[in-house]
Amino acid sequence: MARRGTWLIVITLVISLILQVVPVPFEWRGFRPELVLLVLFYWVLALPQRIGVITAVLVGLSIDFLDGFAIGAAGAGASIGSLIILLNYQRIRQFDSLQQTFLIGLVLAIVLLVTQRLHGLLGYTADGLEFLYSVPISMVLWIPIRNFLRGYRRYYEIA
Amino acid sequence: MLGLCLILLISFREQPFFQRVRLITQDAVSVLYTVAASPVTAGRAVVSFFKSHRALRDENSRLQQENFLLRGQSQRLAAVVAENSRYRDLLNSAGSLDREVMVAEIIAVTADASRHILLLDKGSRHGVVQGQPLLGAEGLIGQTIMVGESTSRAIMISDSTHAVPVQVLRSGVRGLAEGTGEIDRLMVRHIAATTDIVEGDILVTSGLGGLFPPGYPVAEVVSIENVKGSAFAAVLSRPMVKLDRGRHVMLAMDVATKINDLGAR
Repeated sequence: MARRGTWLIVITLVISLILQVVPVPFEWRGFRPELVLLVLFYWVLALPQRIGVITAVLVGLSIDFLDGFAIGAAGAGASIGSLIILLNYQRIRQFDSLQQTFLIGLVLAIVLLVTQRLHGLLGYTADGLEFLYSVPISMVLWIPIRNFLRGYRRYYEIA
Repeated sequence: MLGLCLILLISFREQPFFQRVRLITQDAVSVLYTVAASPVTAGRAVVSFFKSHRALRDENSRLQQENFLLRGQSQRLAAVVAENSRYRDLLNSAGSLDREVMVAEIIAVTADASRHILLLDKGSRHGVVQGQPLLGAEGLIGQTIMVGESTSRAIMISDSTHAVPVQVLRSGVRGLAEGTGEIDRLMVRHIAATTDIVEGDILVTSGLGGLFPPGYPVAEVVSIENVKGSAFAAVLSRPMVKLDRGRHVMLAMDVATKINDLGAR
């Protein structure tokens, strides 16, 4: 388990978790980008041999604990999202920026949809598609986050 | 993995053991929230530090006036409370509430945009219990749902999974004010189309259900629509408290002891 850079990966995830709960004005909460999922997807895409479904579930569960109810909903969503990326990582790596952006948007939407439906099954939900408002903003952020984390990964030689 | 998540989902909902796990994580999680909010908190501290002398003086004199007024009003309140309790004695009903409260600060609003849940900086160490009403200066805000050691989570009345039994102050008509998921709207259920209720009516807690003490203002009726063919009117109301403003809330402590008693029995 003590492979090179494990802590460096964990740090990026923890920082993204903290950024995820930075206070924003109440009405803007719906537009908060899904930073944690973006960072997770980057690591799955970059190091599929290390970061996979198990990490995704742990990350998803930490999102659930942040929200404090329906423990496991985001975990299930994140595991499905990372599975999609794992099964297609070679293809996704060949995509150009625009294609990647849209694909990540699609996967995010699937993750959020699964999470939202699980919340719905447990009776914790408001109707409507407001939960998808964060997807376009997350899509815009994908390329900067990817480039930043790529630089980070190469600088520290995490493999 | 997916199955594991689903099992977790169900067990966290049902099993008492997992409830305890959740309470423990509550405090750990609130540390993250505090860290995330620290730039904002620090910024606020800096701003208040550099507040001009003049502004402070103005505020001070304004507060003194307000304090004077409130004191005057509370003098009358004491008399009214005494009178009220005499009447209650005469009627042989339960004693009135002495409204003891504790002030808590809002650490954060949870990240999930579809929920209206607050993180407070008071927990079981300070005597907070689950189900305790949360009050603002103008009325009811919500109730605590998860109490950790030093922090707790509270659900607001506008959350779509929350409902509070209410009564129209003017006519005594009872209903149920349900959260809609919108911060400034509550839906009042079970109001028959012919009921005596008008726009501008104040809704207060009715005390039914035993959780919220009666008499706290909840919302003001903003619109009543009679839907053709429906036996009930569609009544919308606006919470008295601006739920997305302010940093402090009050926890009704007298209710805490009552809830503890109920639990002990």
